[in-house]
Amino acid sequence: MVTASSISFGANSTFTSSSIPKTKPLFNIIPHSLKFTTGNGRAAVTFQRPVSVIPKATSADSRATKEPSRTFHGLCYVVGDNIDTDQIIPAEYLTLVPSNPDEYEKLGSYALIGLPATYTTRFIDENETKTKYKIIIAGGNFGCGSSREHAPVALGAAGCSAVVAESYARIFFRNSVATGEIYPLESEARLCEECSTGDVVTIEMAERRLINHTTGKEYKLKPIGDLGPVIDAGGIFAYARKTGMIASRN
Amino acid sequence: MELKSCSNDIVIFFLNSQTDIGPDCCHAIDIITCNYWPAMLTSLGFTVEEGNILRDYYNASSAPSLGGLTVIYQPQKDLGSFCFSSTSQFSVNKCKKSAVSKKIVSVMAPQQSERRPATTGSVKNAMTLTEKIFSRASEKPQLSPGDNVWVNVDILMTHDVCGPGSFGIFKKEFGENAKVWDREKIVIIPDHYIFTSDERANRNVDILRDFCMEQNIKYFYDIKDLGNFKANPDYKGVCHIALAQEGHCRPGEVLLGTDSHTCTAGAFGQFATGIGNTDAGFVLGTGKVLLKVPPTLRFVLDGEMPDYLLAKDLILQIIGEISVAGATYKSMEFVGTTVERLSMEERMTLCNMVVEAGGKNGVVPADGTTFKYLEDKTSLPYEPVYSDEKASFLSEYRFDISKLEPLVAKPHSPDNRALARECKDVKIDRVYIGSCTGGKTEDFLAAAKVFLASGKKVKVPTFLVPATQKVWMDVYTLPVPGSGGKTCSQIFEEAGCDTPASPSCGACLGGPKDTYARMNEPMASCLSLQVCVSTTNRNFPGRMGHKEGQIYLASPYTAAASALTGYVTDPREFLE
Repeated sequence: MVTASSISFGANSTFTSSSIPKTKPLFNIIPHSLKFTTGNGRAAVTFQRPVSVIPKATSADSRATKEPSRTFHGLCYVVGDNIDTDQIIPAEYLTLVPSNPDEYEKLGSYALIGLPATYTTRFIDENETKTKYKIIIAGGNFGCGSSREHAPVALGAAGCSAVVAESYARIFFRNSVATGEIYPLESEARLCEECSTGDVVTIEMAERRLINHTTGKEYKLKPIGDLGPVIDAGGIFAYARKTGMIASRN
Repeated sequence: MELKSCSNDIVIFFLNSQTDIGPDCCHAIDIITCNYWPAMLTSLGFTVEEGNILRDYYNASSAPSLGGLTVIYQPQKDLGSFCFSSTSQFSVNKCKKSAVSKKIVSVMAPQQSERRPATTGSVKNAMTLTEKIFSRASEKPQLSPGDNVWVNVDILMTHDVCGPGSFGIFKKEFGENAKVWDREKIVIIPDHYIFTSDERANRNVDILRDFCMEQNIKYFYDIKDLGNFKANPDYKGVCHIALAQEGHCRPGEVLLGTDSHTCTAGAFGQFATGIGNTDAGFVLGTGKVLLKVPPTLRFVLDGEMPDYLLAKDLILQIIGEISVAGATYKSMEFVGTTVERLSMEERMTLCNMVVEAGGKNGVVPADGTTFKYLEDKTSLPYEPVYSDEKASFLSEYRFDISKLEPLVAKPHSPDNRALARECKDVKIDRVYIGSCTGGKTEDFLAAAKVFLASGKKVKVPTFLVPATQKVWMDVYTLPVPGSGGKTCSQIFEEAGCDTPASPSCGACLGGPKDTYARMNEPMASCLSLQVCVSTTNRNFPGRMGHKEGQIYLASPYTAAASALTGYVTDPREFLE
């Protein structure tokens, strides 16, 4: 990566250089390998390593320096209806405290480990701690059950950026917005029946659409709704500061 | 047009510090009061203060003794209280009768009991119970479902699983040395992972303690001696039951908790819902939360409750009817003759599983039963609210309870409703009676009733986990009706149940691997999966431990009956 730098001459003629970090490139493609396959008369491209358009901020600074992510791109992981928070992060892992950075990472490594055996592909491969699926596609009532904030936190810590569900349970939706860990988007159609785990998808938030590159289909997403301002501000604390509900920090 | 007849009077008052109100103005007040008061005056440009002056003058003028009024002008801070009481029906006649000319020297809104819009019922838009609580808590006299409002919180509860995370966020956002918004409105209740050797779980209770000491939190139900729960005088047990037993649930208030079953407290006619760590961290610092006003679904339960049914059956019926997402973002209001006859604990069971239907909160309007329960538990004042007659509900569901039969929710969803008698061929491996849903005193009395009626022993391991220390005591001391003075514990022992365990959430949500009664093994035999009938609230895969464990949710009657036969059993087998 090239960084621009400037050189200035100090009074005692020593060189001082300060590097001005170049604005992060919009595309940061690190393809591990490209594979072209043809099937049904269509060329399909599969990446072996996930491609991320905007690097995701870590939880620690997600509230302080939130870049509005307008596009998500990567592999999707598909789940059905009523995926409850016990499946997202089983209760035995709730002894991990999400505000503790080490335990935050550990929490991520258990994301979706509660899914039953009918899900033959794991969300996180064995011996891995991060997922290769940036986007989760779900049916209705995603995140139902317990109010545990560990659920969206685990998904975010694992490396998931966005969920596109048919509908959400309210506490999970709220927690996703409050923490800023994942973007909870809603689809108009039942994408869990249209997409398969491993499909390459792009989500364009401004255009409110999801493109499945593997199937070649496009789908409309619902507008972000009431909590849009909270998400845009960067979570409930940022929103409260912005609207004067609480004092700014320092 | 009418009101302009007052303009002059008011202007003259402000100019001269005194005025006489003419008959036209009097008449105008009468009409406006009866029909158009709140919106009209403000829209005409009158300030609230001026409106109050007119109103209060009229009130005073209808009183028998009059003469000159001497009051002092004082602006009203609370702009919400400018609505008339619906009882003050002014009539034109009054105006004409009295000698119209009154001298006002100066004016003040007189000391009077605060006219809360929520209880006057004269607000232009009728509101539901939940909307009224939001209205009062957000200090907005008018609001509608869908509005996002900042609400004042009366009680915030957290426990050992979510407390540490919430405190972490609180400190990060408000500063290491920040103080909580109100040390008396926070209730910290360790209850989830208590009797375990898991070090992190134990550490989390220590984190709660450190925070409580640092912040001087008034209500912390601490536990230090894990080997003997009775050695901990402050320890209570399951948070939702402790909140009720300790008098923290009061009609009309806003109670939030870092637990989805916080909705249990709606049984007291208050708004109670679950929130996550981040929201809790926010509330810790500010005492406020941003909430969307939910529309209300009304459930009218009428009919005499058969003696083989319990509140658990009622809520399973409802969830089965509307599905696990049927009440998402909505309030569930329970009314009807059946509800009115439910005890507080039964109402708590009803509201407890509102979240299983996706509900934001559940409410049972406060009544004599509520007030009686609260008599010896709280001395803080409270003001119940009730849905207006003309309030709008999203939908209304009616049930004739006399026709219902005992139910179960089959694996793996709380809305997978089935008649208990239709599952009689399902062989089971264990029974669990406990949790905030089915581990209260009355739940154990109910189970004991079935064991007593049978007189036989259970055919499968039957785990009993009283929700709190008080429930445990009741199990060991309260006589079971019709038993000749035996206690629940004696009946349980005679039936071959496990000894009642230390009070906590226990295996309801699995927990650390060494949790008592956790479902750790998937298989009961080489051919069959483990099946548990449980009085708990969820049966999603892995809820009580192993992913493949099969959980049938049921009432304490049904659970006890099933324990006696070794199959899912309708309690009428023993109760009729």
